[in-house]
Formats: sequence, C-alpha cells, structure tokens
Amino acid sequence: MAPLLELKDFHYYYGNIHSVKGISLYVNEGEMVTLIGANGAGKTTTMQTISGLTSPKGIRGEIWFDGKKISGLKGHKISAMGLAHVLEGRHVFSKLTVEENLTMGAFMRKDTKNIKSDMDGVYKRFPRLLERKTQLAGTLSGGEQQMLAIGRALMARPKMILLDEPSLGLSPKITKEVFAAIKEINKEDGITVFFVEQNSKIALNTASRGYVMQTGEMVIEDTCENLMSNADVQKAYLGGE
Amino acid sequence: MNMSVYGMLLVSSLAIGSIYGLIALGYALIYKSSGLLSFTQGDILTLGAYLGLTFYSILGIPFAISLLLTMACAFVLGILLEKGVIRQLLNKNVGAIYVVLATIAISYIIQNGSQLAWGTIQLNFPSVFPVQNVNIFGVNVRPEALMCFIVSIALMIILHFFMTKTRFGTSMRAASMDSMAAESLGIDVSLTTGVSWGLSAGLAAIAGMLIGPIYGVYSTLGSTIGRKGFSGAVIGGYGNMYGAMIGGLILGIVETFSASLISSTYRNLIAYALLLIFMFIKPTGIFNERAIQD
Ligand SMILES: Nc1ncnc2c1ncn2[C@@H]1O[C@H](COP(=O)(O)OP(=O)(O)O)[C@@H](O)[C@H]1O
Ligand SMILES: [Mg+2]
Repeated sequence: MAPLLELKDFHYYYGNIHSVKGISLYVNEGEMVTLIGANGAGKTTTMQTISGLTSPKGIRGEIWFDGKKISGLKGHKISAMGLAHVLEGRHVFSKLTVEENLTMGAFMRKDTKNIKSDMDGVYKRFPRLLERKTQLAGTLSGGEQQMLAIGRALMARPKMILLDEPSLGLSPKITKEVFAAIKEINKEDGITVFFVEQNSKIALNTASRGYVMQTGEMVIEDTCENLMSNADVQKAYLGGE
Repeated sequence: MNMSVYGMLLVSSLAIGSIYGLIALGYALIYKSSGLLSFTQGDILTLGAYLGLTFYSILGIPFAISLLLTMACAFVLGILLEKGVIRQLLNKNVGAIYVVLATIAISYIIQNGSQLAWGTIQLNFPSVFPVQNVNIFGVNVRPEALMCFIVSIALMIILHFFMTKTRFGTSMRAASMDSMAAESLGIDVSLTTGVSWGLSAGLAAIAGMLIGPIYGVYSTLGSTIGRKGFSGAVIGGYGNMYGAMIGGLILGIVETFSASLISSTYRNLIAYALLLIFMFIKPTGIFNERAIQD
C-alpha cells in the first residue's frame, strides 16, 4: 500500500533562497514519525509546504497525501482532505475564546451534530481547557495554548496531524503532558502523526521512525531505536560525546 | 435656545454620526482583513447614493428593495476590487503604500465615472416618506434623518451578530487574527477577505442611499463623508468595529453641535482638530486598538 504522506525530491525556494534541497520522505498510515534537525534546517518550511501554507511558486518536486498529489493546492483544500497542522508557535486565535477556537477547528465539517461530543472529547483529554472555555485564548499560558492548538486540530477529525515543535517554550513537565497526549492521539485515536521537534531526546523516545535534516538536506533516516544509538546523532542532537 | 432645538440637533447629529459610523465600520473591516487602508469608501458612498436614486426614483422600485439592490451591487464591486486589483498588486509584492495609492486612484475613477453616468448637476433624492416631519417627544424630526439613524444602528447590530454568532462571521474574525492558522483549519482566507471588502462597500453604499434624501446627490458627496468616517474610525480605535460606530457618532455629535452653537464655519476645523487630538493623546482610540501605534 502507498504511504499516506509522501514527499518526492521536494525542494523549496523563497525567491532565490534554496531552503529545502531535494528531500524525500514517507509516512505510512497509523505511524508516528519525527523530523529533527538544527534551527534553520528547513523543517518548518517542509511542514508548512505540505499543508499548503507557503507560496506554491517556491515548490519543486511532488507531495502526495492519501493517494492524491497535493503540492500546489491551497491550504484550506488540503485541510479538507484530512490533514491537520499544529503550527510552530501555536497560533491560537488570541481574541477568540477557547470554545470559539475549537469551533473553528471544526469549520469545514458537515456532520455538525457530532461537533459537540468531539468538543467534550477534547475537554476530557485536556481538562484545563474546560475550566477556561470562555476565556480568550490569548490569556492562556503557553502550555494551555499548545493544548488548545492540538485540540483545535483534532476537532477537524483528521486522518493525519502534523505538529511543528510542540514543546517550544514549554516547561519539562508540560512538555511531558503534551507528548503523552500526542502518543494517545496516535495509539488510541489511530491518527497518523508526523512531528518536528527541537528536543531530539523526547522526539526519538516518542516516535517509531525519524528523519534528520541539516541545512536543507536529509542526512539520515532510520528507526528511532537506531537513531538513538547512532554516534553522529548522539553527538549532534542528543548532547552525547 | 429651547429644548426642541437641542432635540433636533441631536437627531441630525446622530443621523450624520451613524453615517460616519457605517463608513468607519468599512475601514475597520478592510483593515482587519487585509491590514490596509482603502480610500474608496467615500466614493462608494457616492455611487451608492446614485444607484439608490436610480433604483428608487428612476426605476420606481420600492425603497427597501432599492436599498438591498444597492447593497448587493456594492458588495460585488467590493469583492471585484479586492480580487481584481488589491490582490493582484499584493501578488506582485508591491509595498502596502502602493496599494493604498491604488485605492486613491480607484476612488477618483469611481467619482469621475459617476459624473459620466449621472452628470455634474446635483440631483434631488425624492422624499421616502409622505410627511415632512414627525413629532417625537415634542421635537419635530425629518423622518429620513430618523431612518438614517435607525437603519444604521440596525445594520451595526446585524453585523455584530453575524461576526460573533455565525460560523462564517467567526471565521472572518479568525482569518483576520491569524490567516495562516485559519487557512490550516480549512477556512478559505481569500474568500473571507473578499467578503470583508464586499461588506465594507455594501455598508458605504447603503450609507449613501440613506444620506441622499437629506444632502442631495452629487459626485463629491462621499469625499468629505469618507474623510470624516476615517476620523471616526481613528477616534474609536482604528480597526475596532465597535470603536468605529462610537467614534463616528461622537464625531457627528461634536461637529453638529459646534457648528450650531459656535459657527458652521468651524465645522470641519473642529472635526479634524478632534482627530488630531486623539492622534496625539490617545492614538489607540477609545477602544484601545494597537493598529496606529504598530
Ligand atoms: N519566509 C521566509 N523567507 C525567506 N527565507 C525563509 C523564510 N522562512 C524561512 N526561511 C529560511 O529558510 C530556511 C529554513 O527555515 P525553517 O524552515 O524555518 O527552518 P527550521 O524550521 O528547521 O528551523 C532558513 O534559512 C530560513 O532563514
Ligand atoms: Mg521551525
């Protein structure tokens, strides 16, 4: 069976700047895969282009999702195909309430009668959000905003979720909580997960396979188990000797 | 002066103030959705007055239906403006100031185009109601002035419910807060932006049709009102919908009363002095919007 998500010799140009230089990767249905690499490696560019959020002019190569070529499509069309994206830096709608943010996650769903119960599901997973459901999202703490961003993405009932640096700016304790939730989403809800993470240790402990990017190129791909024992990876990303 | 004069002044200041408010509301919608200033608002008001006059007086269509037709035409014009001109310029990566200049060019095109279509002589917009005056609490009021205020306030309330209680309205606000996040959730940001411009134009055109019976219809009708609407938007807090309404009303009240109590010569001086005072003392306006400072 073809992978759920596949990038074939993908390049991205911001004008003349060649930010991603021909990478290929795939994520199978049900998998949990991570993409790691230093700052500026091109991870966010890759994620946002998959979701149709960068200018299509800069794309070379192909991106396939769920059997269809999606490179060049507009973001809202890709989202409607069942690909959700938890953006780097969370991007909650700061002047909407928690509840309105979640409603917006379900924006394009036709089955409006199930939305309420899905919202209850999100509140059950993140009880802090329930306590704050009438609060403006901009007044939440960083960790709560991250939970809201994840909850909002779940409200679309996606086939697959992309997450870009979910631990950014969070305390170790909250990071643990967020990653426990991401694991649940994959294991219990059966949603395919592909995430970018600066904290390589937690990334390799959470995912089953991983890709390593360096200045726009894909340098290693392997199972997380092998990556953790790889000397280069240890040295560059795990703070080992 | 006796109380009934104050009452009359109050009604006429609320009438013109709510027109400023409608125009200011359009500035706010455009600013929120595109981060831009569009100078077409005033001339779309003029166009709305001419269209309304044509539907109502020349074609003999009932006033309420003429109002809806005028709004629909302007709505389409607003979307075409955004899709056909503004978006095209932004896609060429030109600076925001060029886009603003383009809106000034368009405003003159609309103004001259209206002259071409309807002539240079001021036209009379026939009365909408069979009576000259209605008596409210002992004050004689032109029913058209009252309609101006009531319809404007009704539109503002409808817009408020649309933007806060409907899914599409909420998605418009979401898209204006964070277009990337909105797009990632399946919101067609290009559509919500177009609708914002369409609504702005629709509100301006309705304002034109409401003020037409009071001021008459001529090709520069919207020029001053457009600038005053802009001032109202700044006073209320640029980009804030509620500030736009309040700012417009305050401006209408201040200029109408000062024109009558001091001298009508100073009408504009006082209105724009108020704008400057706000720019210096409270640039974020009554509703504390950050737009001007950023
Ligand atoms: N909007 C942009 N315009 C120009 N260059 C950009 C833009 N966004 C990112 N870049 C560049 O692309 C490269 C990759 O950035 P990014 O994808 O954000 O990396 P990462 O997420 O791995 O830190 C960097 O060199 C960055 O400067
Ligand atoms: Mg990044």
